[in-house]
Order: sequence, then C-alpha cells, then structure tokens
Amino acid sequence: MSPRPGFVLDVDRSSPPTLFWHGEGYRLEKLPPGRSRVVYGPEPLRSLDDPVTAIRDALCNPLGESEPLPALLRPGMRLTIAFDDVSLPLPPMRSPDVRQLVIEQVLDMAAAAGVDDVVLVAALALHRRMTDAELRHALGNRIFDAFAPHGLLTQHDAEDPSNLVYLGRTDQGEDVELNRRAATSDLLVYVNINLVAMDGGHKSVATGLASYRSIRHHHNARTMQQSRSFMDQHHSELHSSNWRMGRLIASNGVKVFQVETTLNTDTFPEQFRFLQRREWEWTIRDRAAFLASSTALGRTPDKLRRSIFQSIKSPHAMTSVQAGEVEAVHARTTQSVYAQQLVSVSGQTDILTMGLPYISPYNVDSIMNPILVACLGLGYFFNLYRGKPLVREGGVVIMSHPTPWAFHPGHHPSYIDFFENVLAETTDPLQIGKFEEAYATDPWYVHLYRTGHAYHGVHPFYMWYWCAHALEHLGGVIVVGGDRAAVRRLGFKPASTLDDALEMAEDVVGRSPSITHVHNPPLLMADVT
Amino acid sequence: MKGLLFERNLPRFAAARVVSAIAGSGRGSAVGPLRLVDMPSPELPGPGWYHVRPILAGICGSDLATLDGRASRYFEDFVSFPFVPGHEVVGLVEGGDAALPSGTRVVLEPVLGCIARDIHPPCNACAEGHTGNCERVAFGHLAPGLQIGYCADTGGGWSKGGLVAHASQLHRVPDSLDDDSAVMVEPTACAVHAALRALEPWESTGASQNSGEASPPMVAVVGSGTLGLTTIAALRHFGGQVVVLAGAKYSHQKEMAIALGADVAVSPGELAREVRRRSRSLVASGHSTSGADVVVDCVGTGESISESLAMVRPRGRVVLVGMPSKVDIDLASLWHREVGLVGAYAYGTEQLSGRTRSTFDLAIELAGAAGIGRLVSAHYPLERFEEAVAHAGAAGRRGAAKIVFDLRAPIVKGPTNEP
Amino acid sequence: MSTRSGVPDGIGRLANVTGLHPSELAGRLGRIFARDFPWSAPAWPVGLERPAPDRRLGVDYDTSWARAYPARLARAVMTDNLTRPLMHALATPTVRGEEVLDQCVSPTIFVANHSSHIDTGLLVSILPARLRHRTVVAAAADHFFDRRWKAHLWAFALGAVPIERHRVNRRSAALATDLVDDGWNLIIFPEGGRTRDGWLQPFRGGAAYVAAHTGRPVVPAYISGTREILAKGSSRLRRNPVTVTFGRPLWVEPGEGSRHFERRIEEAVASLADEAASDFFSARRRAYSAKTPSQRGPDASPWRRAWALAPRVPAQPGGNNHAYPPGMPHTNLNTPR
Repeated sequence: MSPRPGFVLDVDRSSPPTLFWHGEGYRLEKLPPGRSRVVYGPEPLRSLDDPVTAIRDALCNPLGESEPLPALLRPGMRLTIAFDDVSLPLPPMRSPDVRQLVIEQVLDMAAAAGVDDVVLVAALALHRRMTDAELRHALGNRIFDAFAPHGLLTQHDAEDPSNLVYLGRTDQGEDVELNRRAATSDLLVYVNINLVAMDGGHKSVATGLASYRSIRHHHNARTMQQSRSFMDQHHSELHSSNWRMGRLIASNGVKVFQVETTLNTDTFPEQFRFLQRREWEWTIRDRAAFLASSTALGRTPDKLRRSIFQSIKSPHAMTSVQAGEVEAVHARTTQSVYAQQLVSVSGQTDILTMGLPYISPYNVDSIMNPILVACLGLGYFFNLYRGKPLVREGGVVIMSHPTPWAFHPGHHPSYIDFFENVLAETTDPLQIGKFEEAYATDPWYVHLYRTGHAYHGVHPFYMWYWCAHALEHLGGVIVVGGDRAAVRRLGFKPASTLDDALEMAEDVVGRSPSITHVHNPPLLMADVT
Repeated sequence: MKGLLFERNLPRFAAARVVSAIAGSGRGSAVGPLRLVDMPSPELPGPGWYHVRPILAGICGSDLATLDGRASRYFEDFVSFPFVPGHEVVGLVEGGDAALPSGTRVVLEPVLGCIARDIHPPCNACAEGHTGNCERVAFGHLAPGLQIGYCADTGGGWSKGGLVAHASQLHRVPDSLDDDSAVMVEPTACAVHAALRALEPWESTGASQNSGEASPPMVAVVGSGTLGLTTIAALRHFGGQVVVLAGAKYSHQKEMAIALGADVAVSPGELAREVRRRSRSLVASGHSTSGADVVVDCVGTGESISESLAMVRPRGRVVLVGMPSKVDIDLASLWHREVGLVGAYAYGTEQLSGRTRSTFDLAIELAGAAGIGRLVSAHYPLERFEEAVAHAGAAGRRGAAKIVFDLRAPIVKGPTNEP
Repeated sequence: MSTRSGVPDGIGRLANVTGLHPSELAGRLGRIFARDFPWSAPAWPVGLERPAPDRRLGVDYDTSWARAYPARLARAVMTDNLTRPLMHALATPTVRGEEVLDQCVSPTIFVANHSSHIDTGLLVSILPARLRHRTVVAAAADHFFDRRWKAHLWAFALGAVPIERHRVNRRSAALATDLVDDGWNLIIFPEGGRTRDGWLQPFRGGAAYVAAHTGRPVVPAYISGTREILAKGSSRLRRNPVTVTFGRPLWVEPGEGSRHFERRIEEAVASLADEAASDFFSARRRAYSAKTPSQRGPDASPWRRAWALAPRVPAQPGGNNHAYPPGMPHTNLNTPR
C-alpha cells in the first residue's frame, strides 16, 4: 500500500480522543466535537532502495551549473567538507547516519583523486559543540578514526577571529564573515539534512559557517516578524537575507558543492509506532503499547524518563539526495520536503492546539527548558505553514508540555540568565534587543561555547526572536500542564487541563471557537488557503 | 511587674534546641528557658544611670539564636544569667534629672562598654569610640554581658518593669521619628556600621562619593531579613553611586529591598549569576573569576559565607553581618584570592566624609530618611511571647520583617499586622 | 568532590560512609598506617653526602631472576590460569598455520607485526606448552623497564628482557643472543613499537641479528584484529576476534647478509598479511611473483592512509557495486565492525 497523503479530520462524537505529546510523555484529549479539526500529516514516504548508489549518482550527476564532483577533485587541492550538526535530524537517526553515507562517498572520490588536504567541519553556527560520541554517530567510526586523531575533524568556531575571514557586505549592508578554512578552500562540499523546509539552501553556509557579526543581521526580531513563515522560503526575510549572503559568498569565489538529503517522517521505532498512527486505526498492540508505556512513564523519575526518551534513535530513511549548485539543488529538495510534509487545510482557526514533544533542535541529549518549549511551539510548530498561519490573527495557541523550570547548565548556561534576568523584565521580542550585546560578548559564555558544549551566549535571544511572528500574531498563549511559575515567566497562561485552557481561550476569541489540532508525529506543514 | 526572664537551665536549653531544630526557628520558646515572671525593677548600679520604661522592644536574630539554643558557645563568658532579653528598645526615662528629664523618649545603645562599666582608664577600643569592640564587656562592677539584654544586672527590653541604662547609652529621639522607626534604630545602627565597614576601602579614598572616572563599587547583599534590608538602606543612603544587588528569598523582601534602594533584587540562587554577569567574569571551581567588590553576608551560615566567597572579586571584601556560629567552609579561595573576611558587630563611631560621627546619630538620621519604621510588621503583648517569637522565627515566610513587643500597658488588642 | 579537594576518591567514599570529613578521615587513617621509623624508611641526615642511587634500569636491568625456576613456575601458573583465559575471552584467537608450531624446536625466534599491547600475551598464550614456558619477550627498555616496579612486573609476567629499540645496543643484543643460545625461544616485534595507523612500519634488524648469530630459525607471524581490542593511544578494551597466521620458518642462507635476511623477514610477514586477508594459495602466488600488496600503506596524508585501511559500508545488495573508482586500494586487513 502506498503511503496515504495527509488529511484533515473533522472531529465528531464518535471520534476517538486525540494524542497530544506532553514532553517526556503523552496524553489523550477529547476535542469538542462539531468545531474541532485534527490535521494529520502524510504517511512516511518510501525510502530510496539503495541510498549509497543514489548518493554516488547525485554526486556524479549534479544539478545546475556544476561539474560532477570527481571532476572537481584534483591532487594538491584544499577540500573542506562541512556538515549539519547535532540539531538534525530529530530524533537522531539510527546508524548509519545520512551524513556518514554521503561523506564516505565524497571521501572515496577524494581518495581516488589523490586529494591529501581534506578537513571536515561541523557547521555549528552558534550551537553547542558536538561531543566525540555524537560526531562518531553522525559520521561513523571509519570517518571519525581517519580524521579526528589528526585534528582534521573540526567544529566551526564563530568566536575564533584567527579562523574567520571577512568577505564583505551585501547590498543591504549585511556583513558576511565565514569560517576561514571553508572560505579559502578550493572546494567546499556542504552535506545537509533537510528535515523541514527551512533547512538548507544558502542558509547552510551563510549561517552554519558564519560568525555572530554575520548572523545577527538575520537572526533578530524584525527579520523574524517579516518571515511569514520562515518555513516558506519565498516569504521569509530570513531566507532573503541568507540568499543575499550566499550570492555574495559565491561572488567572492568560494566554490560550494551542495549536497542535500531529505528524510521521510518515519520518526519513531516500532515500540512507539502508535505515536504516528491515526488513533482510530490503533490495533490491540498499539493500545497495549500506549497503556503500558504511559503507565510506566508515569512512575518513572524525571531524569530516567528524560534519558529513556533521549536515547531513542529514529528509523528515518532517505527519500531523496541531490547535489550540485546551491539554488538548483535546494529547489529540488524543497519539492521533496513538501511532498512528504504538505497538507492542505482550508481556512484558519480560532484556537490552535499542539502537543510538544520532549525534543527540539537545541536539546538533543539535554533538558528542554522553558525557553525551548516556547521556541518549539511558537517558533517551529506555529511557523510550519504556507500561505496563512493556521490560527487567525488574535487567536490563541494552546500548547501541552510540562515546561519544567529546569536548565542544562552545561548546554544552556546563558539561557538561565536570560530566563532570570531578561524575561523577568520583558517578554517582548522587540524590547529584549538591548540586552543582546552584553550576552553575546560575555566572556564566560564565549569561553563555554568555544571550549565546552554550550550554546552561544546570544542563542536564547534567537529562540525568543523565533517566537516574534507568533507573539505579534496571537491574542494569547496557554500552556497545559506546565510549571506555573515558569509558564508565567514566559508571559503565557498556565492551565491544568485542556478543558480549562479552552475555557480560558474563550475569553480571548469568543464563545464556541473553532479548534484545530496539529497531530505530531508525523511532522507536517500546513498549506492554508 | 511582668517580664520575660531567661534562666540558665540546661534541660530546657536542650529541649529548645531540639524543638527549634525540628519545628523551626522560634518554636522552641514554649519549652525553652524563657519564662514570663513577676520581677522588680532593677536597681540603679551607680551615678549616671537611669531607669528606662520600654515602649517597644524588638526581637532580634541573635535573640532567636539564643532562644533556639544555637548561639555559639563563644558567648558563654559574655552573658550572665538570669537575664531579661531585649536590646532593641525605645522607651521613656523614668525619674530622670535635669540632664535627662523624666518622660524623655530615648533609644537604647545597649553595648555595655567601659564607660557604662565605670572602668578607668577605658580600654583601647572604647577610647577610640569603638564601644562595640570593648575589651571589658565581661569585666568591671557589672555582671558580664555584651549588651543590656544579656546582662543579669541591667534588666532588658522585654519587661514592663524596665531596665537601667547609663547616660552614655541613651539617645534622645527627635519628635519627628515615630515609635516604630525608633525601635528600629538599634538594628539600623548595626546596618549602618556594616555598610560603612563594606564601604571602608572607598571611604578612605572617597571614591564612592565622587561619581567620576571609576565605575562605582558593586555590593552584593546576601539575605534580606531586617539586617539585610536595613543594610541596603544604609548602603544607598551613605554609599553614593554604589550598585546594590540584593538576594531576597521572598517576594515582599524583594519589593522592600527595591523600595529601600537596591538596584536589583533576585532570588538567593540567582544572586551569584547576577554578580557574574554584571562583572563579566569567567567561572573557575564554582567561583566568579571577578565579582562583586564587596559582599555583605546578612545570613551568617556556612553556606552563605561560602556563597559570598564565591561571588566576591579577588582582593575584595566579605562583611559578616549575620551572626555566624561554628561553620565548615573551604577557605582556599580566600587565601588564593586574598579576600578580606571581616566581621561587622554593633556600632560605636564612624568616619564619614572625613568626620567622626556616632553610629546611632547616623542611624537616627537614616531611620527617618528611609522610613525604616515600615519594617516593623507586627506588635505583640508580652503575654503572647511564644507566638511573637514563633512569628519572628518564621518572619520571612510569613511576609514579615521585624516583630516587636508592645509594652504600653494595658494591652487589649491582638497583634496588628501593618501593611 | 573528593578528587577536587585533593583527597583520593576511595577516602572520599569512605568518608561518606563514616560521616567524617574526608580530611579528618585521611588524618585518622594516616595515624594508623603511616608510622615513623623504624616502621618506615629512615630519612637521610642532611649533613651527609648521599651516594647516587644504584638504579639498574632499562637495558641494565638484570632479568635473570625471572628465568630462575621459582619465577618460571609462578609465571607458568599465571600464564595458564590467567593470561590464556583472558586472551581467549578477549580475542577468541584463530590460528592459521598451526602445523608450523608443531614442527618448531626450541629455541626459535618468533617475529610478528605489532599493533597492540595485547599482542605479547596473545602470542605467548597460543604457543604450544612446550614452547610457551620457555619463551622470553624482547620488550622496549625505555617503556617497560623505566621504573623499578614496571621492570619487576614485566620481567616476571611476560619473561620480558629489555631491548634498546632506537639504536643497536651491544649489551641488549648480546643478552638476546645468549638467551637463544641457552635454549630460550624469543618473541620480538621488529617494528620497534606499535603501529599508529594500522599499516606496517619498517622492520629493524634485531631479529635478523640474533638469528644470524645463533643460527636458529625465524618463524614469522601476522596478527590481525588486536588493534580493535586495544589500539595505541586507546585505554578501553573491546572484544574482537583475532587471527594469527604463522609462516614457514626462515633460516639464514649461508653467506646471506643480515640486511637481506631482515628484508626477507619483512616480506614474509607482509605475505602473511596478504594471506590473512585472502587465502594461502593466492597469497603465495602473489609472493612468488613479487606482487604481494604493500603493507606499508600509501605514501599520502594521514587521512588517506587511514581511509585506505578502514572497512567500508557496501552499497545495498543488488546495488551498483562497481561504483568504486578504479585504482582504489581494496586491502581490507581488519574485520569489518
């Protein structure tokens, strides 16, 4: 049976309750019949039968104005291979990771061509450095053992002036400053995982390998408010800025060979299969798995529950791979992402509900702190639309997540201060800018970013800017089942049950509001008309 | 006349210690050695002494420690039993003379130094005006006692019969100062002394006054009980441009800290991060590499001292205002970073802008200017001392700062909680 | 916590149990165990000149005690009851060319490639009992004999004898020759150290020298798979199957120079490596036509040397398997993970 496309369920009296993610757990919620809809994403697409051969084909038959990769390789050249960091894919995929498969093929070609000077760079931007175990998982033992012992497996350091090079300014006055090794190589191969429509394109190099000086031009409240949404590259100021920078990078003679891969939405392993099934199709086994796991999880200490979920490896499989010139490649990639994720929905809703899972791009093997909860709901899920937002202007978003007042001190040190210091004063994305400089240049955060595994000091600001469009658009945000103090600090309203939250939302949007729930997994993008 | 008497009674000490450890500070007084008894007014020990009938008498942190049985044994030689506690007192002079006529409203400077003890010549500390540091508080013709309120011969504030005090210990209260503010003068004097101890390095250079080239000193205040709050007020009043960061556990303490002049008030756990961020320091071994110029510790536990050491800059100063007892602290950072750890006890005379002034005069000035009287949260009659002490022990949690006994006879109304 | 405060972890843990502060506890333990002279060694008076310590270490360390009967007996017990079971658990060795060992007569010189500390124990434990208990191992004097306790330990545990590895040292060469003359088998790793990247390093002349001076045969061996158990620079043991391939004994030809013999030994080991990766017959054929693949690795950047050696992920069955570009080295010396 070929995978079914996504669809919108109108909830009636006989519809079973709907699954909501709730951090390291889930809840079944009955939505009011007659005025509620649930949006289900398309089922996982079939994966490529032979990814290795597909990768070789893509490298040898590039798109756009580019020669095949083997023809670009010659002895004595400087080759740099950059790859996406630990924020992709989510959850981390089972071995072998797509990055491993692609880079092994690139390296085989480089070895055959006799290229000696090869360096690998993890394109961290301002994210935390990956641990050795994470690098090993993403790249495989073979690559790790061949490069890491010789110092040839590097991670981009946006705070190392000696390793950055200033390329110039775009016509809009945006500074472009890049990783020196990448910018001065004869060829830069960038290996992407395009999990959502935002990923990839010129954003890969222009953001992933850039410095704070460069990134701040598009990671700010103004840009994010003008990106409607940032998942839709044609209406995203974030992307326009990156595209301007990408073209400037190309005009500086940096030759980029872009490799982009897409994954299907087969997100969770067999034992969690019920998560991505439509509730009325749950078998006895699915129901038993749901009951057993939710009962067990209810009795598990927080820490253990977190580590159980963080150890899940996703069975994601590759649905397409394309290589060559950035823009041509990205156009094809975006089609593939849309094929997997797009669902057409007619009309906006008064209340948008969403269950937030235990993971976001920035808490792999970490704690999902309140700021990340806000960012996942209002940054990512809210923006997964094309056309109009799913929820009308002045509508309400109801998110379900425990939102603990807890932070990973090693990964998110500046988040703690941001939460205590900045959000205590204001939650307006346009107002927090005055604190940004102090956080971005704080020597302790810089030290932890460069030598530990901490996100850059400015990163929590970006999380909040990510929410800017939603915060401007919405009439209110309610968090179900969250830590009350933490939810209030975020500027949201806490509610203990979904019913309470719906009652509270009526104060904002009026009686008998329409409700739309985005079912997740699988990940979907709403095409709202 | 009724009064509260604190007797030497080891079983009762032990019981108070156990109960307060289990049920919380202040809860041990029901089983402790404090009793409400009929007692005569104390005799005048000599010329220059006056009878004082208290109007209001406060319950101090050190009183609580004594009642809970957790005061350091160091003080054993500096008290004499049985004594009437109460050293934060505003009262009226009874049967006075021309110098201090009867009915004069006075506040008590309770330290029993050389002058009160009629010791000639006075010890070095008293000769310099630092009566708080008097070397003779266990000696002389009076029974040992640091202060009135710990001495068997003088009586104390927690009695209707009153106490005796030497002329040198009495300060007239200006009419403009209400009773609540007046009873706060003694703790405020401690705070003024602490604040000036904190600002000493700048006082000597005058740096805190001229808001010129150098950035103003950053002072972190750990703890926002009565002492913490009055210290904040004193730092603001006498510290010029100094930046005051307050660590406060409860929301009313935060509000009060801001009202009294703190630049920021944050939860205790957040204070170290606030200091680190403002000083833009790195962190090594849990210590900010730079940090606050001065940390004023108004708590006095091992934990609070360790925290203070972790957030003070190298060559900075930690001022202990809260009364510490036996603690377990790692002093490696104090040695390595050449931090000064200084105590700040009581009062005497201060050097301010090149002038020598009595701490109590400064405290009276501050109590009026900053409206310190608002820190008095509840008045109790003497008869309900157990409730009063329990309230004081849980002051922060119960939204209060200072609890006082109201000794204006006769009392019919219950405790009044002022806003 | 406890390590940070400078107190050993064990004491910290004990302190948790006893409820004492670590420093206090360490003090009490100290009073029990650390006792003054005469319980501990005397201090030297400051006013007296102290003679230089007599430290016979390195090549000067005298290992003869470890070949005396009591030490041999203890070593035999240990090898049979500890080392062998451990090696079997870690490496489950497969031995190829075992018949060579059956024909071996003491004394024999065994040479092998060297990629792990495991190699020595492994070789000793797969030798037949009659050879095993009369074997000494040439061990780097600077690494195994630089401390007194290490010298004692290795001389006893492996029957190690110190060999200078960076230059020819008459004393160490004479010692090895004398031992073989006395009837002791000698294990020697002619690379002079463990491989860094998995490729063979150039052989040194020690084995050829001893063989030439004693007239005894050299049995070459190739060990594959021990690098996965414990590579150079690694500190974690992992289990991995190991194959040891023995080759036919080599004798010094009359009039043959030591250099030439040394090259023959290296070729023999390289051919065994080829055999380990393929089979005996094709390896021999390639050896006779001088087409044995080089085990020295490509003369290229470190990543390419590592890359050429690493196991590869194949395309899916039925996939396009001729996709590897021509000219790629295909040597697969290691068992795929």
